[in-house]
Amino acid sequence: MALSTHTTSTGYLLPSIHSAPPFFTQQPNPTTLAIATEHWVKLITGYARHRKLFFLRVEDAESPGNDWAEVLRNERINRRLPPTYLSYILEILVNKNLAAYEPPAQTRAVMLFWRLPEEWAEVLHEWATSTGQLNSILTFYDITDPPLESPLTGIPIPLLRRAIGILTKSNRAQIISIPDGEGVRFFPGNKYVG
Amino acid sequence: MHRLGGVGLSAFDRHNQSQRSFAQLSSQLTQAQISHLHSQLAQFRTALSNFAVTHREHIKRDPRFRHEFQQMCASIGVDPLAGPRRGGWWAEMVGMGDWQYELGVQIVDVCVSTRERNGGMIEMDELIRIISKLRGVSGGEITEEDVVRSIETLKPLGAGYQVVDVGGRKMVRSVVKELDQDQAVILAVARQLSGKVVEEDLISRHGWTRERARVALENMCLRDGLCWVDDQDPSGMAYWIPSAMRWDL
Repeated sequence: MALSTHTTSTGYLLPSIHSAPPFFTQQPNPTTLAIATEHWVKLITGYARHRKLFFLRVEDAESPGNDWAEVLRNERINRRLPPTYLSYILEILVNKNLAAYEPPAQTRAVMLFWRLPEEWAEVLHEWATSTGQLNSILTFYDITDPPLESPLTGIPIPLLRRAIGILTKSNRAQIISIPDGEGVRFFPGNKYVG
Repeated sequence: MHRLGGVGLSAFDRHNQSQRSFAQLSSQLTQAQISHLHSQLAQFRTALSNFAVTHREHIKRDPRFRHEFQQMCASIGVDPLAGPRRGGWWAEMVGMGDWQYELGVQIVDVCVSTRERNGGMIEMDELIRIISKLRGVSGGEITEEDVVRSIETLKPLGAGYQVVDVGGRKMVRSVVKELDQDQAVILAVARQLSGKVVEEDLISRHGWTRERARVALENMCLRDGLCWVDDQDPSGMAYWIPSAMRWDL
C-alpha cells in the first residue's frame, strides 16, 4: 500500500501522511508524538486557511458531517482522529500561539490564527485604507460582514478586537462607543509609527 | 608355642610400633596426594588464569562469551566469583572489581540467557529468583536494591542495562540501544508487509512467543521511536515502521 496525497472535495491537497493509519493515533513515544503533532498543526492551520475556518472544537472529532470531517477523518483507510488527541493538539496550537482558547477559560474549543493577530491588524488597516474608510466610524458588523466580500468577512469578533488592539498601540485605530455598542475609527499610518 | 605378636608386655610395644608405621605411611600417602592435588590445582589455576588473561577483553566485551566462560567454570566446579579476596578470582584476573560487579556479571548472565524468550525485558522478581538459584545458598541473599546498584555499576560497560518501571512493575531491560537482532527481524518483516507489523506476524513467521513479540515491538516504539502505533487497526494494536512504508511524496 502506497501512501499518497489526496485532493478533497473542497479542493484541499491532503499530505501523504494523512493516508498513514498510525497518523490517527496519539503516539506514546514523546519524540514521535512531537513529529506527528507538528504535521497535524500544519495540516489544521493550512486547511483552516483554505476553508477560512476560524474555530476548531473537540466535538468536531466526535461526530461526522462538519467542516472538519475530511481532515479529522480518513474514510478511505477507516481512521479518525480521537477527540482526546485533538484536545492535545489544541493545547499545542495554543502553546505555539497559533490559536487561543475561545471562549477563554475552557479547553474544548479554539480560535485559530492561520493569520497571526499582528497580520490581521495589517490586513484590517490595509482594507480600511483601500476602501477609503479611514477616519470614519465603523461598527464591528461593517467589518465582519461588508457589502463587498473582503479578507475580513466572517472574522470572529474576539479576533477582530485583538487586531484593533494592536492597531491602537501604533495609534492607527481607536475604539469608540456608539449608541448600539462599539465602533472603531482607523487613522492613516504604518506599524512603524508609534 | 609362639604366637606372632607374643603375649608378653613387648607385644604391646610391637603393636604400637606397627600402628605408628602405618600412620606414618598413611600420612605420607595423604601428603603425596595433597601435594599432587595442590600442584594440579595450581596448574589448573594457571591455565584458567592464562585463559582469563588472554581473553580478558573478550570476556569483558562480549556478554555471550562471558556467559559461556562462566558456564565452563561452573561445569568444572570452579566458581569464578569465589576466591580468597573480596571480589574473588574473577576480580583478580579479569579486573572487574568488587562484589557489585560479580552480581552484575550474574545479572548479565541471566539477562542474556533469557533474552530469547522475553525480548530483553525481565521482571525484577524473576531476575532475582534466577540469580539466587545461580548463586546457591552460600551466595547469600540478594535484594532488589543490590540488583539496582549492580546495574548502575554496569553502566560504564555501555551495555544499556536499565531498570524501568512498566505499569508499576520494575523490569530490567538488557537490550542495547542500537538495533538488536529482534529489531532487525521486525524490520525485515515490516519490509515484506509494506510497513505494518502486528504481534501475530512475528508469532506465525518466526515462532516468537507473544511476550517476545510484544516487548520487541514496544521497545521499538517506546524506547527507540522506530515505529508508530496504530490503535485503530481491526486486529488490535498495529505497529508501522516508517522506514519500511512506501511514501509517494
